[in-house]
Amino acid sequence: MNSLMFHGQTVALNEEGFLLDPSLWNEELAAALAKAEEGLDTLSDEHWAVLRFIRSHFEEKQGAPMVRAVCKNTGLRLQQIYDLFPSGPAKGACKLAGLPKPDGCV
Amino acid sequence: MSTDLEPKLEALTPQDFARGLEVFHQSLRDAEVSYLSACVRCGLCADSCHYHRAEPALENMPARKLDQIAAVFRGHFTTMGRLAPGLVGAKRFDKDMARAWVDAAFGRCSLCGRCSINCTIGIPLPTLFRAARKALGAMRLVPEDLQASVANSLVHGNNMAIERDEWVETVQWMEEELQAETGDPEARIPLDKQGARCLFTVNPREAKFFPLSLQASAKVFWAAGEDWTLASDGGWDLTNYALFTCEDDQAAAIVTHLSDAMTRLGCEVLVIGECGHGYQSARWMGPEWLKKAFPFPVVSILELMDQYLAEGRLQVDPSRNPLPVTLHDPCNLVRHGGILEPQRRVLRKAVAHFVEMAPHGVENYCCGGGGGQLAMSQYRDRRLKAGGVKARQIQATGAKVVAAPCHNCIDQLGELNKEYQLKVQVKTVAELVAAALITPHSAEVLP
Repeated sequence: MNSLMFHGQTVALNEEGFLLDPSLWNEELAAALAKAEEGLDTLSDEHWAVLRFIRSHFEEKQGAPMVRAVCKNTGLRLQQIYDLFPSGPAKGACKLAGLPKPDGCV
Repeated sequence: MSTDLEPKLEALTPQDFARGLEVFHQSLRDAEVSYLSACVRCGLCADSCHYHRAEPALENMPARKLDQIAAVFRGHFTTMGRLAPGLVGAKRFDKDMARAWVDAAFGRCSLCGRCSINCTIGIPLPTLFRAARKALGAMRLVPEDLQASVANSLVHGNNMAIERDEWVETVQWMEEELQAETGDPEARIPLDKQGARCLFTVNPREAKFFPLSLQASAKVFWAAGEDWTLASDGGWDLTNYALFTCEDDQAAAIVTHLSDAMTRLGCEVLVIGECGHGYQSARWMGPEWLKKAFPFPVVSILELMDQYLAEGRLQVDPSRNPLPVTLHDPCNLVRHGGILEPQRRVLRKAVAHFVEMAPHGVENYCCGGGGGQLAMSQYRDRRLKAGGVKARQIQATGAKVVAAPCHNCIDQLGELNKEYQLKVQVKTVAELVAAALITPHSAEVLP
């Protein structure tokens, strides 16, 4: 079991660094996850556009959005998404947006 | 999700153990029963296993993993095991042994089969580990995240629970991208084309997160002038995670999505995209699960690309892939699936510098992500450690690109890339072919 120290509190992560309790997520925690899990010291407006869209999709529908929907709603091109999150849309962006690990070959 | 084993073990009833033993015994043929007591402890399997090579501990040795299972078999199904268990190393199936089975069959094995081909007497270890996984399934001990992918396939028709309109929108998006890339407004990614020769199938992770590989496959079909289609609803997902949970009834239900789509669309050839377990499931296990042969051939897109190149239907310029390329052999595609040469012939034509790993082909090492490992978060650290064997193989080639004809392997190789700082690109074979294509459009822009 992994964990992340956040404001003096221990936040439980699964073995792959995904939040065990997605409801704990907030933007400050996302920034802490970005540093710890993706090595991103700062998050740009483009990072935030992606993370906020993924998070709102998750809160509405309980799953990760298609990368198509991410591109359409943020106006970013596919390659930009890959460049923004080195571990990819699933293990990078979805993780920082506080989603559980997606099912399947990821 | 990942620490759920202990409460499940606590909740097991005597009936659960009896059911597990019954399922285990019933899934073994006579020859397999004899193999359970055939190990001569020569130790050759130790070096053959990527888990043991990465961490030479007793519990990583295939013979030891098998003995955890065989000990229970002896304890319940052999006379000596019942009368004098201590003498023959027999164990009763209890909570501790169930935990040992989960650890051996799910936690330390990717069902890659390398131990089996290196076994002095050819014990089919993957078959025996599969029987153990099946028994654990009957006892509700399959790791939940692995089971969730199976449930998605059964309920939604694909293992990521992608809805029809989401899939269709992504296909249309890739069609627009393909038209832009090729400069051909007639370039299509057909959906539900009745009577198309080939029904093409993909891994849902392509649709959900990594659609460029779908665009690359489509570009190859476009350049070859293939008559092909995707299914819009059911029958587009080639994965079958029940191969890993070993629940054969569920596996049969999932592979039926593909055969139903073939019937519905009247296609001639079922084409499996670049995926190891998907190929193994559709080509070899499908007829076993359904207990009947398919009335159509099942081929890998690698075989088609090989054929297109041999027939001159594709023209490639290898100088467009100038970096040194090595090839990963997915266990389910190569050792279990028998697809060995097509991808090599393709790469020798499509890239400038192709270098093999040592060893390769049927003696390849698993990347560490096979057998459902990638889906089981609780074994992440072991998976990355075991993958170190593959990482060192890649480093030794000096290649800058790893071609991996399997999306599951690609994800694991991506993680190994980060963990071991390999600094390589990981691509599908179709992506390399698509990059090398000489098309009417690209010919115009060449000097």
